[in-house]
Amino acid sequence: MALKALDIYKLLPKKNCKECGDPTCLTFAMKLAGGKADVDLCPYLSDEAKSVLGATTRPPIRLVKIGVGERSFAVGEEFVLYRHEKTFYHPPGILFKVYDTQTADEITAATVRVRDETFTRVGSDLRFNGIAIENTSGSAETFALAVKAVEDSADLPLVLIAESQASFAAALVHCGSYRPLLHAATGTNFREMCALAKQHGCPLAIRSDSLEGLVNLAKACNSEGRQNLVMDLAPVTLGDFIIRSTAIRQLAITRTAPDLGYPVYLDAAKTGRQDAATALGIVKYASVIVTNPLTPGPTKAALTLRQNIYTDPQKPIQMNPGLYRVGSPDKNAPVLMTVNFSLTFFTLQGYLESTRVPCFMLIVDTEGLSVLTAVAAGKLSEMLVRDSIKKFGVEEEVSHRKLIIPGYASPLSGRIEEATGWKVMVGPRDAAEIGEYLHEEWK
Amino acid sequence: MAFDVDFGWTQVIGNLVLGATGADGGTRRISYRLGGGTTLPFLENENTSPAPLIAFEVCDSPVYWSPIIRNYCGDLVNNVGEWAKTADTTYGADIIRLYLTSTRQRNFSDIVSVGKTVETVLSASGLPLIIEGSNEPKIDSEVFQKCGETAQGEKLLLGTAEAGRYRSIAAAVLAYDHSIIAQSPIDINLAKQLNILLREIGVPRDHILIDPYTGALGYGFEYSFSAMERIRFSALKGDTDLAMPMICSATDSLTIKEVREADPAVQDEMAVQWEFTTGIAAAAAGAEIICVRHPRTIPLLREAFAGLKKRTPVPGVA
Repeated sequence: MALKALDIYKLLPKKNCKECGDPTCLTFAMKLAGGKADVDLCPYLSDEAKSVLGATTRPPIRLVKIGVGERSFAVGEEFVLYRHEKTFYHPPGILFKVYDTQTADEITAATVRVRDETFTRVGSDLRFNGIAIENTSGSAETFALAVKAVEDSADLPLVLIAESQASFAAALVHCGSYRPLLHAATGTNFREMCALAKQHGCPLAIRSDSLEGLVNLAKACNSEGRQNLVMDLAPVTLGDFIIRSTAIRQLAITRTAPDLGYPVYLDAAKTGRQDAATALGIVKYASVIVTNPLTPGPTKAALTLRQNIYTDPQKPIQMNPGLYRVGSPDKNAPVLMTVNFSLTFFTLQGYLESTRVPCFMLIVDTEGLSVLTAVAAGKLSEMLVRDSIKKFGVEEEVSHRKLIIPGYASPLSGRIEEATGWKVMVGPRDAAEIGEYLHEEWK
Repeated sequence: MAFDVDFGWTQVIGNLVLGATGADGGTRRISYRLGGGTTLPFLENENTSPAPLIAFEVCDSPVYWSPIIRNYCGDLVNNVGEWAKTADTTYGADIIRLYLTSTRQRNFSDIVSVGKTVETVLSASGLPLIIEGSNEPKIDSEVFQKCGETAQGEKLLLGTAEAGRYRSIAAAVLAYDHSIIAQSPIDINLAKQLNILLREIGVPRDHILIDPYTGALGYGFEYSFSAMERIRFSALKGDTDLAMPMICSATDSLTIKEVREADPAVQDEMAVQWEFTTGIAAAAAGAEIICVRHPRTIPLLREAFAGLKKRTPVPGVA
């Protein structure tokens, strides 16, 4: 049951101390009401107020931060089962896994890749997020060396995967103050793991293959003072993962089982089908995905899928309207008009680049609508085209007066000619055909 | 506490039969019953609904096909019968999807050849068949009529019907007892509307397959993913006009920049991963037929679907 901001305000200390990061208790109350803040941020709450507020104001899935500095990332704070209901907020961190039995060179190579590799598409830089180091050797000393090799090459968020306390202790000497995720607390070792996590201020993964096991572990860790948890559902098959992660997301967001309100951890390398597991983790509620270093194909496909799924469905990604150049167009170069929906822009731009015909792209402001919807909704009009030609100085850039418009905008061709005085040429509907079109029609 | 995935669904995804064996008056080696899902994809406690099926797409005029596939498949692409047979016996497809690209030539009128092509593919492989007819409304009627007639009794799928263009296909479907692919532009309401239009002219619900249109990964796939999730959700909540199985065919996967301009050394891998990642995600959203063009995508999808259908019993948990 959600409380209103004013009801929450009544339970707060009303000191306006700003220690929670908000200017006043009232603004903090408003954030709590919206599920955008955590009650624990207030140091002066009575236990009674905490228990009243905790259950109803905390986001249904806790926000957990992994790592420190520029590359750190936060996951959790999700509210829906389907992205179309609202949006997914925090894209999963994807971390490359190394094993302490590998050579230092291999470990360094994977680390440097995550540090440097950037894939730019649709105006965004897509990157992997960190390194997971597994204590395969069982030796604390070897583990520490592997962690040191990673730390020597990059400041990246880490996951430490080990069984023994000695191994964790040795590794934390090198990275203890950088908030690595410790993996994993189980029914038998949770006290020691909680103590370690507490000592270093680290987030902690809990692992169980049953919901009951996870609930019990989460409660046990809470009572040891650990709130920053992620949950490893210990799937053996892809089917195990999808059914468990879906059930947990549903039970958490409906607050049916608040103790399951933590981000989900997935070791894709352990399913034996890691490319599939990575893709599945992205679409079905994983927040921390650990995988062996991906080859070029799965790398681009996974990063693109994550970008797609975590795009806000309510806000089309928009380009700034304006005149864009492809190659170095001269005064005789063609001018192609289209809308400022980024997908349209980048698709067309990609095909134009491969035609090797230098040209201008006149991007008009349809508020991010695609050509088809902009025409249907009246957002793309002859006045908009006329004003854009003037505003972006197209007449000074070219000596001709010919404008190529998208095939789906053909109903407007006559009106655009009248309004602008330019000769309108109707291009193809499908951007893939633009090369052929230019070669045949643009003389 | 069990993994409770009963979200209060009230309805089952309807069935659609694809392919007729000798027992049912056809000549197919196998026939599939699609649909039957009772919850979100892959969440059934028992394996009540089958794993998604993999359709391999071939065409009868490869000039319209991606050079990546022409290079990979070699001379096979010039012999649609052999290509279909290889897809069946070597590539391991479940379904052949034949695109009659020959009909895209200007002023195409050789309807007799359409019948021959369909016959060739039907005799080359015993798999159920999907046929994609012409792109040109003027010849639709004759092309679909010919396809439907040639494959009478085989219970195949004819496509692709759209809101402004479904009558010729529906006529062939009704006359020869096939099923129809109904495509809408990534919009649940338009999908529903088209299904209603089809029903009004007599196409039964269990003869309709929904194609919500799949944008390529990175180029609008997220819209298709959500359209599929919404359709599945509405169907399970009781909307019978949307309770049909879905097909995913991301036909642009091999022409988008990341694949088209990939380094030649990794271009096949890029093409395969683009199709594979799209296929996995679409299946998780509810698609039951996943179409691919690269042969190497098939075993990867097959393994992944097997993994998705497999459960590890958890001791002490229902």
